[in-house]
Amino acid sequence: MDSLITAAAQALASGDTLGALKRVALRDDAPALALRGIAMAQLGDLIRAKALLKSAARAFGPREAVARARCVVAEAEIALVSRDLTWPPKALEAARKVLESHGDRVNAAHAGNIAIRRLVLIGRLDEAEQALAALDPTPLPPALRAAHELVAAGIEVRRLRTRAARAALERARSAAQRAGMPVLTAEVEAAGHVLSIPAARLVSRGHERPLLLAEVEALFSGGTLVVDACRHIVRAAGAAVPLASRPVLFTLVRALAEAWPADVARGALIARAFRGKHADESHRARLRVEIGRLRAELSGLAEVSATKRGFALSPAGAAEVAVLAPLVEGPHAAVLAFLADGEAWSSSALAIALGASPRTVQRALDSLAGEEKVQAIGRGRARRWMSPPLSSFPTILLLPGPLPSD
Amino acid sequence: MKTSTATILREYGPFPDAERVHGVTFDGRHVWFASGDRLNALDPDSGEVMRFIEVASHAGTAFDGEFLYQIAEDVIHKIDPKTGQILSTIPAPGNGGDSGLAWAEGTLWVGQHRGRRIHQIDPDTGEILRTIESNRVVTGVTWVDGQLWHGTWEGDDSDIRRIDPQTGEVLERLDMPEGTGVSGLESDGAACFFCGGGNSGKIRAVRRPG
Repeated sequence: MDSLITAAAQALASGDTLGALKRVALRDDAPALALRGIAMAQLGDLIRAKALLKSAARAFGPREAVARARCVVAEAEIALVSRDLTWPPKALEAARKVLESHGDRVNAAHAGNIAIRRLVLIGRLDEAEQALAALDPTPLPPALRAAHELVAAGIEVRRLRTRAARAALERARSAAQRAGMPVLTAEVEAAGHVLSIPAARLVSRGHERPLLLAEVEALFSGGTLVVDACRHIVRAAGAAVPLASRPVLFTLVRALAEAWPADVARGALIARAFRGKHADESHRARLRVEIGRLRAELSGLAEVSATKRGFALSPAGAAEVAVLAPLVEGPHAAVLAFLADGEAWSSSALAIALGASPRTVQRALDSLAGEEKVQAIGRGRARRWMSPPLSSFPTILLLPGPLPSD
Repeated sequence: MKTSTATILREYGPFPDAERVHGVTFDGRHVWFASGDRLNALDPDSGEVMRFIEVASHAGTAFDGEFLYQIAEDVIHKIDPKTGQILSTIPAPGNGGDSGLAWAEGTLWVGQHRGRRIHQIDPDTGEILRTIESNRVVTGVTWVDGQLWHGTWEGDDSDIRRIDPQTGEVLERLDMPEGTGVSGLESDGAACFFCGGGNSGKIRAVRRPG
């Protein structure tokens, strides 16, 4: 490296971003472009940073594959932080392979981590989990290790494995402390918050109380038949009956579970499930049909029996029945409830799940997006909706050093 | 052109508080190396850093028999090794794109990294007297027995090459083993080169052929 590049890199490493910029401001050779890009990213000008890193990657010579790959990784990280999901993941994977084959294990692992963060961000949890299991975090220095553990914690939270989430957060915390970066430690603390605040409400035998995530997890593994109104699933003894695409059936089972062990009058069920004010004969006939369908769905888990005035739920093996409800309910809350699984939903799938018209769902999504409670990825028919990620990974940039001699 | 693989005779470092090596010179007793914010005097026999001077040192280093010359940002400082004082400063010919410095025949020779050339300059004024083109990036320059040698390091490839000071033609090449690069080059005046190892923080003694 030449003298001014060395001086600028040294300034950048010591946190003197402006000093680094000053030294290379007028230069347009590859290392200078890369340093300017990293400096601009640290100053928060992500658009300029991306453009600079892109030109740097182009300007490095054919023998400087490592330097070029590091620019690509930095570009990918900036794209991720600025939620630019159009950025090509293939380029990141190619860069990761170059770094690995040249023995730059740290930045190769960093690239792998960015790829996993992207998968979580676009709601592909299964793939993210697989990639996470395949990544060896050993070469990662403390700051990157903390980021890695935060992704792991984010996935565990979404998978409702609170013990594993807590362990990952603990590893993230100690790594952040080793890194000596207060911002990062604060990010870890914020991410851990999700475990200590109520995640849902439990409604059982006419009472209701807030539940922590760990209590939700315990509820699912205990001997209770849970009508999960957060994800529209009926769960018991490890079995799960998804009713997300059967809104009427879900409304009925929820009403029955809320009343359990008592029964629910036909009129009340009709009013709730069909939104009919008066229960006439045709409604009663329809109710019978839907209850029949519900019986079929729940077979093995619970029985729905007719009573004098209506219907009652009786769990097959479970000792208790409870409803797990979102903290806040309302038309939009139902949308949020579905998105709480961290997966990416199309608006038409949401409309089916909610039993609402696509236009209603679209209006709800638009208004939630306005409040930044949901985010859209993709365009047109490929557009998907997600809840913003739980603060499951740092929003600060942990960029690779752009130059191979760093 | 003769081509051979460089023979590494000895490795020094890495050293505490001197993570990278940006320039190397030899005063007959100590190997001085630039590590960013200080110049370190290494005893080549014991492998110990004996003392250091706190001074900006971002690229090449040279010794004229009495004083040290050190590239910092876009200038060259002349430093008294006894006191550590900067005696004078001249502009570097590559405006900060400089990498590699040598003293010979009463003048300074400065490598210009991506410019792929070597300038001969007046040590008092910085005036460029002559320019030799190379076809590789220059990461170190040295003169020994009337031979001009320079180091190159691009990505995975690094070598030490002797070039014709008139034409720039490559006369001889020593390829560095994989994973070792040359940042900073100096001869001990005899059968050995001292090579800076960049971010490895090492200095390597390499056999000079002939």
